[in-house]
Amino acid sequence: MSTLSAEARIALAIARKDAVAELRGRHATVSTLFFAAVVLLLFGFALGPDAARLAEAAPGLLWLAVVFAGILAVNRLHLLETDDGALEQLALYPVPRRAIYAGKALAGFGVMLLLGLVVLGAVAVLFAVDIGGAWLPLLVTVVLGSAGVAAVGTFYAGVTVRLRAREVMLPLLMLPVLAPLLLGAVKATAAALAGDPFGELGAWLQLLVGFDVIMIIAGAATYGYLLEDG
Amino acid sequence: MPQTTIYVSPRSLGAPDTRPPAVATTDLARLFAGSPALAGVSLRVDGGRTVALLGPNGAGKTTLLRLLATAIRPSYGQASVDGLDLARDPALVRERVAYLSHATGLYDDLTGRENLRFAATMLRTPDPEARVERALADVGLGARAADRVRDFSAGMRKRLALGRILLGCASLVLLDEPYAALDREGMSLVDQLLVAWRGVGVTVIVASHSTERFESLLDGRVTLERGLVREASGTGVMSTPPSLPGGAALPVAEAAR
Repeated sequence: MSTLSAEARIALAIARKDAVAELRGRHATVSTLFFAAVVLLLFGFALGPDAARLAEAAPGLLWLAVVFAGILAVNRLHLLETDDGALEQLALYPVPRRAIYAGKALAGFGVMLLLGLVVLGAVAVLFAVDIGGAWLPLLVTVVLGSAGVAAVGTFYAGVTVRLRAREVMLPLLMLPVLAPLLLGAVKATAAALAGDPFGELGAWLQLLVGFDVIMIIAGAATYGYLLEDG
Repeated sequence: MPQTTIYVSPRSLGAPDTRPPAVATTDLARLFAGSPALAGVSLRVDGGRTVALLGPNGAGKTTLLRLLATAIRPSYGQASVDGLDLARDPALVRERVAYLSHATGLYDDLTGRENLRFAATMLRTPDPEARVERALADVGLGARAADRVRDFSAGMRKRLALGRILLGCASLVLLDEPYAALDREGMSLVDQLLVAWRGVGVTVIVASHSTERFESLLDGRVTLERGLVREASGTGVMSTPPSLPGGAALPVAEAAR
């Protein structure tokens, strides 16, 4: 128990450090929020002015914007560690690797959650979707979806952070893995907005929980190898 | 600089004759893209010694330090710190080693104090608030502690990185060109730290192009050339020729990393 609390303290310190750096430098949030807004607008233009069509497509557009912007966000959060050898220094601290992963993933989750909530609000306004009646299942979906993107993104940002072509490699690696999450989150959002007429919401949320648990365990178990340079 | 207090974990130390060598390597080699930056180094450094690691650019000094710090893994050979194998027990080795590299490992958007507080948490420093303030004062940054590191000069960054080492309880300190970018006071600070570490039995390996500055503080010196030990001399330092097939004939990377 004391080991777990020590690791939690380390993870929180890493997440807090990232949060402070983010609040001051705004490396991840501002650019990704603008990116998400632009993606939503472009999807809106592409689908045309048909309000019913836009509302029907809203769950898919919401999660595509969150996933695309999330890739940017986790990449930006890891770039903090490239400041003057910070990643190597982080790897040399005598702390469990899974605590480092947990800290970085927690920071990513914070940014993703903010992103998810803002994009959800933007979708409601831009595509005239009423989210008031389904706010709780939508909130749960955004929390689970954000956790999944952060868990996967933290791992793959660790894979690509030292690569020159990381901006290209990160989406190439992340998007196929995120396909089940995208499916589950879109279906859960659509079910929640429709009032869950077929009682499928629970199953999609369970899929998201399962995805998150698997990705968090896999990331925590393997992230340490990524920190060592060969 | 105020009187510096160096904290050393009691478990790292012991009677000199019962203590394992601070550093022991056997045929230690590291390849980068197929070319060895370190081509088979067999070296022993006794505990509590201050040793200079010399050699021209690309000789393998930084590679050897990074291997000992567990920042990179060896391609061949073995190495241990305080009797702990680097490959088998990297986590235990990290508790005993402090490494100052060319890069300072600091976060630009945090202040000097916040950087050290973060390091204190990661190093599980007891009484962290007091120790951080003490370290800031020791490295002469007390007045600038609330400034973001982004606004620090290269010398101030180096001082802060030295302050981070003071937060731990390492028994082996690895310094890569510690005098670089420092003004006269900063250089004097490094001198005083070398004296303080020696006083409490901490082993220090200093990679440098020249020992002119700290000659009087040295117990031994190891000279690397093209990834191999050319010469090891002084007290508490010993090297044996490489036994790797091909040994010295291996092509050495132009730029050791």
